[in-house]
Order: sequence, then structure tokens, then C-alpha cells
Amino acid sequence: MSLLTYANPQRFLRFVHYALIPVLVIGALISATGLYAAFAFAPADYQQGETVRIMYIHVPAAWLSMACYGLMALSSIGTLVWRHPLADVSARAMVPIGAAFTIICLITGSLWGRPMWGTWWVWDARLTSVLVLFLIYCGILALWNAFEDPARAGRAAAVMTLVGAINLPIVKFSVDWWNTLHQPASVFRMGGPTIDKSMLWPLFLVAVGMTIFMVGLHLAGMRNEILQRRLRTMRLLAASGGDDA
Amino acid sequence: MLDDPHFGFIFAAFFVAGLIVLALSLSIWFDYRRVTRDLFTLEQIGTRRRSEGDRG
Repeated sequence: MSLLTYANPQRFLRFVHYALIPVLVIGALISATGLYAAFAFAPADYQQGETVRIMYIHVPAAWLSMACYGLMALSSIGTLVWRHPLADVSARAMVPIGAAFTIICLITGSLWGRPMWGTWWVWDARLTSVLVLFLIYCGILALWNAFEDPARAGRAAAVMTLVGAINLPIVKFSVDWWNTLHQPASVFRMGGPTIDKSMLWPLFLVAVGMTIFMVGLHLAGMRNEILQRRLRTMRLLAASGGDDA
Repeated sequence: MLDDPHFGFIFAAFFVAGLIVLALSLSIWFDYRRVTRDLFTLEQIGTRRRSEGDRG
């Protein structure tokens, strides 16, 4: 059984019916375990003290804000190139999820920056590019809502998503290309992570749990979008008196 | 950790993150309930999609 089997919305809905709750529960349990480890076993930082605990929510949210956009971009390619039946459904469902993780990243970063940097916000390249990422999410959401026809909205949003994808490498490499107050990469970098293992494993546990939970939310959002389109079709049929169509 | 001078920042970060994830999850759940209720209402008044009509 291939992934293409689930290209049929009806089959996909059946899959979501059985998979959704286990995926959400597994994601929540792994996240909770990781957060428990982050507070119970991971040490305080020698410079930042206890404030380093914010890392365990800020960093996974930052990764997911970019991962969600990456998945949206892949879905957009599916919409424009292959016209895959679930591609624009996937892209549409991912927008609020990606926006939510981006705003979590921005707020937790600000709450981390105030005690460590002495400021809530600076217009450095990393912070500004993540803010731009959030604004792009908002723009794509507005674009989706601007069209009555979801197929037209999907194509327009796919083009905007692919144009906006140029921001992803800017977010990732901003700390290398420009002189920023934000620290350089300390996990995914050439030469390996610079974070101690005692802090790294709870961080990965939270990241894996939140990623699985994000997948669950995405499945639920896709199910809503399919049902929403079905509802729209039925309303159009009812309005045109086509009950027997 | 409770006596840490920056405890308020740590608490606020986790609280806000939890609140946003909860709000997102609830909005998806309420959206699902609304759309299934509307679909059920339309089906009750006899509206069928073409694909369902073909199947009889």
C-alpha cells in the first residue's frame, strides 16, 4: 500500500479516523516526558541559570515554524505541478499551525531575551526574519480567505508560499551571514552540537513529541478542510436545487 | 527554581506556549464539530453529493 492510496480523500478520512487520537496522544506523552526531563534532570546553565529552561519550548517551536513552512512549500509544489487532490488541502491546513508555532517562537524568545539580553526585542537579522515568516503566514491565510473557490485560492496561495520560501534559508543562516544579538546555531551545525548531552536529549524529546503532535493537528486540520469543501459543494447543490443531481 | 529571579519569565513562556497550543487544538476541534453538524443538517434535508447520488 503506497502513499498514493491515501490520495483519495475518502480513504484519507478513514485513515485519519483511526490514526488521529493515537498520534495526538503519543505526541503529547513524548512532549510531556521531554518537558519533565527538562525540569527534573537537565541542569541549569552556568551563565543563564534557570532561564535556560525556556530553550526547551522556544527551540522546538522555532524548528517547527520552519518545518511547517517547508511542508507547506512541498504541498504547494504538489498543487502546482501534480495537482495532487490532497496537496492544497495539506497546505491550507498547515497555515494556522505554522503561524501558531512561529508566534510561540517569537513570544518565548522575547521572554528569554528580556532577562538575558536586557531587551524584549532587537531588529537583528534572526528576529526580523522570523517576524517576516510570521507575517508571510498571515498573508497566506488572508489569501486563502480572499477567494470563494478553494481551487483558485489554492493555486494563488501555492505561488505565494513558494515565493515566501526564500525566507527559510534567510532565517536559518541569518546568524551566520549577519552580526546578530541572537546566538549562532548550536544544534544543527557543522562539527556537531555545542550543547551538553544532559541538555540535548530532553530538547530532542520535546522536539520529537511536538513534531508528532503537530502531525496530529495537521491531520485533523486536513480532515476539517476536506469536510469544509464537501459542505461547500452540498450547499451549492442545495442552492441550485440540485438535490437529485 | 521558584526562588529564581527570572521565574516569572520562565513561567510566562511555558504558560503562553501552552495557551496557544490549547487554543489551536480547540479551534480545530470546534471547527470539526461545526462542519460535521452542518453536513448532518444538510443530509437531513435530503441534500446529497453527486458521487453519493450515483451510488444510490
